[in-house]
Amino acid sequence: MTFLSRVHFESLLKALGGTHKLLFPVGSGSKSHFTSIDRSDPGSAFIGGVRSVEPLKAFFFSGRERVASGFEPGLPGRELQPLCVVGAKACDLKGFRILDHVFLDHEFGDPTYKRLRRESLVISSDCTDALETCFCTSLDGLPYPEDGFDINLSPVSGGFLAEAGSEKGRALMAAHSSLFTDPSPKQQQERRENREAVLEKLRTIAEAGGTPGAESLKGAVARRYDAPLWAEEAATCVECGACNTICPTCHCFYLYDQMAQGTTGRFRMWDSCLINDFARVAGGENPRSRLWMRLRNRFEKKFDFFPKVAGEFACTGCGRCSAACPGRIDIRRVLRRLVENG
Amino acid sequence: MDKNPYRSVKTEVLEVITETPSITTIRLRPSEPLSFSPGQFMEVSVPGVGEAPFTPSSFCGDHEKMDITIVKVGKVTEAIHELKAGDIVGLRGPYGHGYPLDEFRGKEVLVVGGGVGLAPLRTLMYSLFDMRGDLGKLAYRAGCRQPCEFLYREEIMGWLDRPDLDIRLTTDQCDETWSCATGLVTSIMDSSCVNPANAVGISCGPPVMMKFVTFRMLEMGIPPERIYLSMEKNMSCGFGKCGHCRLGTFYCCKDGPVFTYAQIKDIPGIWD
Ligand code: SF4
Ligand code: SF4
Ligand code: FES
Repeated sequence: MTFLSRVHFESLLKALGGTHKLLFPVGSGSKSHFTSIDRSDPGSAFIGGVRSVEPLKAFFFSGRERVASGFEPGLPGRELQPLCVVGAKACDLKGFRILDHVFLDHEFGDPTYKRLRRESLVISSDCTDALETCFCTSLDGLPYPEDGFDINLSPVSGGFLAEAGSEKGRALMAAHSSLFTDPSPKQQQERRENREAVLEKLRTIAEAGGTPGAESLKGAVARRYDAPLWAEEAATCVECGACNTICPTCHCFYLYDQMAQGTTGRFRMWDSCLINDFARVAGGENPRSRLWMRLRNRFEKKFDFFPKVAGEFACTGCGRCSAACPGRIDIRRVLRRLVENG
Repeated sequence: MDKNPYRSVKTEVLEVITETPSITTIRLRPSEPLSFSPGQFMEVSVPGVGEAPFTPSSFCGDHEKMDITIVKVGKVTEAIHELKAGDIVGLRGPYGHGYPLDEFRGKEVLVVGGGVGLAPLRTLMYSLFDMRGDLGKLAYRAGCRQPCEFLYREEIMGWLDRPDLDIRLTTDQCDETWSCATGLVTSIMDSSCVNPANAVGISCGPPVMMKFVTFRMLEMGIPPERIYLSMEKNMSCGFGKCGHCRLGTFYCCKDGPVFTYAQIKDIPGIWD
């Protein structure tokens, strides 16, 4: 572990901005969002705090992407500049784990996602706070990254404690070794205290909300498949799809062909399983014709399907869906009702 | 460089064959050879209109040409129905797992189809005829609503003369042109058509039909792990990414579309 002063951190960002499309969070509390170096000065970067409003998938798996042009065998035109995302949170990294599972297979991997993941840098950071909607620890997560990053930064007075988590990260730190100095015991103590304080806050939030733990959620959706809770919870859903769009693990999309200047463009567009037509087949039958079936589907996918096929829940505990839902459907309440037979 | 799984192969329409008032077959010649096995599906696109999944209906041993039989039900299929010889379409695939033909060797085979499900089953039948010597008894049962909707009617009527095939056909409603049975396809699934102890059952057609055919096969004594069903979900990507075709813990596109009943029987709502 080494120390990176705030001043050196900013020079590192400027250097990385020359080779990567640099993205970093600005704003604090529940309002932080990512901006790029061509729009804001890295001096305004706020590292620490909590997750951003938008999910990081937006940069690696964009809402609308041209995936083919005509019958050309190559990859379509967009110039892909490698990204450098600074200030990703532990829950964001877990989101990547799920998307990697979906998009990185050898035979049918998504070429754009693959390339961006391969060539980009992820510099994460500890959370220094938790939002009322956060519940990462209930799903066996931690509010500070332990893996899945190239470099992790833990905010301490005057700068950050930096740790490499990959070959790419080690190489980057070696290339800029003059920026890093030895940490003091006091800074290390500060990191421990911050981590403990955020964990404590998350414990309090989870207790107040009665949020169930990962263990009790195993098999819960299948057990409560026919429970009335689905229809009850769906009563306030307005079918906007915000929960899907804002979710760091929702990966569903549809392919859309559009003719422009004599060639066909094929576009990969985010889709939402809450929307009526999602599962409708060409013949007209819709296996999830009722809204509550679609709400249940979302939980089934995250808490039943993914554990079975990928060995983990496809939920990071970031709470973005609870914050975004105009129907005030709180994912933690649904999970609590699931395990409490409510 | 990474392959682009979203890209279609340029394909020429060689011929358009009207099968029934609402069903058309297009004969296609892809500019690159695409080989498939019975039960696998393709994504067919009409430039600028969109894509839809279809299972070929021609012999899979022909690597130059491929027939695809299509019912008019939506935007893409309507555009397909308007195609003429010489037009260009896109093809991607094949995707998924088809029928495990090797496991059928030495077994008796009962194939039951209905409606447009007879299209993928034609591909299968060609392969079964091709390996006929390796199979025990081969039984074919097919039905549809009305005689005028009977897909490949003349060709299938021709199979009535095959000595190596136990074939029975039915329609729900009959007219003066129809000389076979009347009634649901389950009514011509006679208990003695195959020996359940050594038989596989295959079904493809509308979901309600497959449901009752499956129940009939179980009643005949064919075990769930030897009943093969071709499931229809609204496939889009075809390779387990877009999330549209989830069926329990499977994606219909990559884990199916052919499943054994044993694999899916505990998944709620499989016939919906
Ligand atoms: S869910 Fe956990 S990791 Fe994510 S922002 Fe909240 S505290 Fe941080
Ligand atoms: S965000 Fe809320 S209202 Fe919108 S689709 Fe999701 S559950 Fe329904
Ligand atoms: S068709 Fe996209 S996941 Fe099956």
